[in-house]
Amino acid sequence: MTTSIRFDLKHGFLVVALALYTAFAAGPFLWVASMSLRTTTEISAEPYALPDTLHFSKFAIAWTDGNYGTYFGNSVIVVLSAVAVLTVIGAMAAHCFARYRFPFRRFLYFLVFSTIIFPPQITIIALFQILVEYGLFNTRTGLVLAYVAFQLPITVYILESFFARIPSDLYDAARMDGYSEWEIFWRISLPVAMPALSTTVILNTILLWNEFLYAVVLITDDDKRTLPLGIQKYMGDQLIDIGMLATGLMIAIVPVVIVYVFFSEKLIQGMTAGAIK
Amino acid sequence: MGNVKLDRLTKRYGDADAAAVDDVSLDIERGEFMVLLGPSGCGKSTTLRMIAGLEPITGGTLSIDGEVMNRVPARDRDIAMVFQSYALYPHMTVFDNLAFGLKRRGFAREEIDRRVTDAAGILGLAPYLARKPHALSGGQRQRVALGRAIVRDPKVFLFDEPLSNLDAALRVSMRNELVKLHQRLGTTMIYVTHDQVEAMSMGSRICIMQDGRVAQVGRPLDVYRHPANTFVASFLGSPQINLVESGVTPGEDGRSTLVVGGARIHAHCPPGHSRVIVGIRPEDFYLPGEAPDDAVGASLAARVLAVEALGAETVLLLDVEGVEKDVTARVGRSAHTAAGDLVELTVDTRAMRLFDAASGVALDPGSTTG
Repeated sequence: MTTSIRFDLKHGFLVVALALYTAFAAGPFLWVASMSLRTTTEISAEPYALPDTLHFSKFAIAWTDGNYGTYFGNSVIVVLSAVAVLTVIGAMAAHCFARYRFPFRRFLYFLVFSTIIFPPQITIIALFQILVEYGLFNTRTGLVLAYVAFQLPITVYILESFFARIPSDLYDAARMDGYSEWEIFWRISLPVAMPALSTTVILNTILLWNEFLYAVVLITDDDKRTLPLGIQKYMGDQLIDIGMLATGLMIAIVPVVIVYVFFSEKLIQGMTAGAIK
Repeated sequence: MGNVKLDRLTKRYGDADAAAVDDVSLDIERGEFMVLLGPSGCGKSTTLRMIAGLEPITGGTLSIDGEVMNRVPARDRDIAMVFQSYALYPHMTVFDNLAFGLKRRGFAREEIDRRVTDAAGILGLAPYLARKPHALSGGQRQRVALGRAIVRDPKVFLFDEPLSNLDAALRVSMRNELVKLHQRLGTTMIYVTHDQVEAMSMGSRICIMQDGRVAQVGRPLDVYRHPANTFVASFLGSPQINLVESGVTPGEDGRSTLVVGGARIHAHCPPGHSRVIVGIRPEDFYLPGEAPDDAVGASLAARVLAVEALGAETVLLLDVEGVEKDVTARVGRSAHTAAGDLVELTVDTRAMRLFDAASGVALDPGSTTG
């Protein structure tokens, strides 16, 4: 009896704590979602009210008049390209660090990984200069390269720890089966590391989709902008169109939420995956 | 089938003083089942990996069918290997695991199908071809690992402790199956284990390794009965051989007198040895009335310290006066003795082995080394 009451209390406390945290985390999102369907006039009158009329037409207006269609396309191109390059290069580098012994291996690994401690602001001016120098400033290619460089250390880190846990017998078996090191990478390492690869793909997609700082510095043309820069569209010097801003934000956020909802389990699996038996 | 010849094979890691494998010479004949046996770290797996081509050779020569293989990559040696962890590709079905090596070697689809089906038939894997390794039991995974080697039809099979991850019952049945497989295929097999029972029951010959070197090579019973030194004598046999140090008093007609406990034993001992180690296997002790008629015996009085009745036999732990270490005897299952009893044991002195007290090397002529 006592145990049951104690369990109920503990359970109740947990539910309340989780509910509070959920409200704290999801509250702003729901507020923006509600504002995205209201006009700026409605919002100014009553900021926290629920929508009277659902103005879905605002999404069409943002998509066409607000140029969000172009931003969306740019985001898809830049993020998919960066994630593809990151995954291939990151996996190759991680495979080498994890499976081969070569001079300066630890030093090189440390060098790659040490860049993770620097905040992006430190490198942004140098990066700007380099891209201008190579004619890559204000190009999507330049942004893709910057993203690859920025996310490579964490990608290598996640994949290296996974590759290192793959039993070496598996590689030896493939060697005995007649496969070269290059073939072993493509036919054994990559498929076996699929949980970790999914993790890095999802993680990089979400982070780069939301990335603002590099995009705002390295892209100036409106038709090359990515979604996070779209909010500038509705921010004038004197006036902020808060209603359209919320609509634009929802267009930017929804794909990330969808990716997370569908792939969160895979993300956690990849993060916590153990050795292959 | 391949003849594998190791000529002074050596493996040294980095700047390490001691070689992991030191000057190992071994001639493995076509169709032979050679077992490399030894404790952990004795260099047996490293030797196997050098034969496989997975470990670079530091010194010496490895040849298969007369062709030097030192610099030939693993994939071109026509060798298949079964690993302790099975090393099945987790993302492939059983069929693809079996076919993976054949695909790389450019076999036609029909030939791959035929070989995989044949191997699956031999190993009882036919119902599981569409499954992935995680959906198989330990024994089934082991069979897939074997099958992957069989389909290749290689010159030489290598096994690196393939049964050590299986439970005891399955290990016994797989052991028998491997022996049958060897008889059926007739391929040269080199098998690494630290389990003396596997070595004794499977090998055509055993190569016992110690500290990177070959301690002794020979047929299982020869090695068991005529160990080359005290290491081999202790490593083979369970319970372990009893090793008792004894003084030697030279006698007439070439026979010397050894003193073990209270017993005086007459034995042939090469001249020049004042002290020897006497090796007596536990099964060479007999309780009164148990000794075979032809046993050449000496009598030994002992006090029973403990009795292990194992059903098929009884193991006695004995305190023999004048012998520092406890002595183990394996006697018949009908032995009626209890701890504290005084017993009079007969030792079959023909089965007794003598070793040099300083070096531990066998003194009897039956020993073979190298």
